[in-house]
Amino acid sequence: MELERHVSAAQQGDLLAMAALLRGLEPYVGRICGSIALDDGDDALQETMIRVLKGIRSLRDPAALQGWVRRIAVREATKLARARRDPVLVERLPERAARDTVEVGVEIADVLWRLTPEQRAILVLRDLEGLSEAEAADLLDVEIGTVKSRLHRARRAFRGRWQG
Amino acid sequence: MTDWPTARLDPIRQMLVLAKVLPAVGVVERVLDASYDRVWSFMQDLEHSVPAFDPMVGSLRILSREGERLIVSARTSGTPFNLRFQTELRDGWCLMRSRMYVVGMAAMPLGDRTRYVHLEGLPYLGATPLRALRPLLRRVVRADVDGIARQLGHPQTTDHDR
Repeated sequence: MELERHVSAAQQGDLLAMAALLRGLEPYVGRICGSIALDDGDDALQETMIRVLKGIRSLRDPAALQGWVRRIAVREATKLARARRDPVLVERLPERAARDTVEVGVEIADVLWRLTPEQRAILVLRDLEGLSEAEAADLLDVEIGTVKSRLHRARRAFRGRWQG
Repeated sequence: MTDWPTARLDPIRQMLVLAKVLPAVGVVERVLDASYDRVWSFMQDLEHSVPAFDPMVGSLRILSREGERLIVSARTSGTPFNLRFQTELRDGWCLMRSRMYVVGMAAMPLGDRTRYVHLEGLPYLGATPLRALRPLLRRVVRADVDGIARQLGHPQTTDHDR
């Protein structure tokens, strides 16, 4: 990741390097946060970036930037989505379900709305990030069996459409 | 397979991230009662806008410009002291860094008005007793944003505390 060259400058408090990291990481972190926190994705992305920059001096190896940021993003997005889950689902699921049957068809976002934040996190790590079940379990600090069962439930929610 | 949902970090959110990370800065967020085009055409002309809204800046000169990267020299009012800023300037975004002081300005359209965030302060990271300067710096920044609103002809606006 080309961004690694900005890490050491940001660690020394260079504001322009911090801004470069923000912009450079946005597409990557934005996809993780958007897919897990959905409509709260922008807030999750903002909280993730605050944690990333506040903790940047603890990152010893700039080459580990992407994995370190991924861990923070998944945790922040899951935490935020869990905190805001119930009212969001109650209000918006009927609207989402209606859209399914009209013109838009089955989009990833529509299916993600039917999952829990934890199930979305597993899907993101396995199918978007390409992590193994063991790597996902390590990142989420859960047993590998938990990863398997959450992934099974999440994929079942796609009703066969996930794999085409 | 269609796209995964993607979150965005607009210029206002980027500036608010920096405001949270830098402990010794003041920050003010305000809705300016002027169009974005009007606000930013005023703000981006740094040599004229900054001395007009900031009473602590006597003059400002752009020493060099290469794309979005500028080197800017600002003279403090009533003193012979110059601060030299590495500056990043583009649509809706200006970030200025010297060894002693940092300034950030971000704007976005909000209907026919403009959402604006301004930060200023000291370029330190991590825990520092200089955090105690935040209220003082917020007053400095509020005076600057008052100055911007006056220059735009709309002094009556309200801040969002940050």
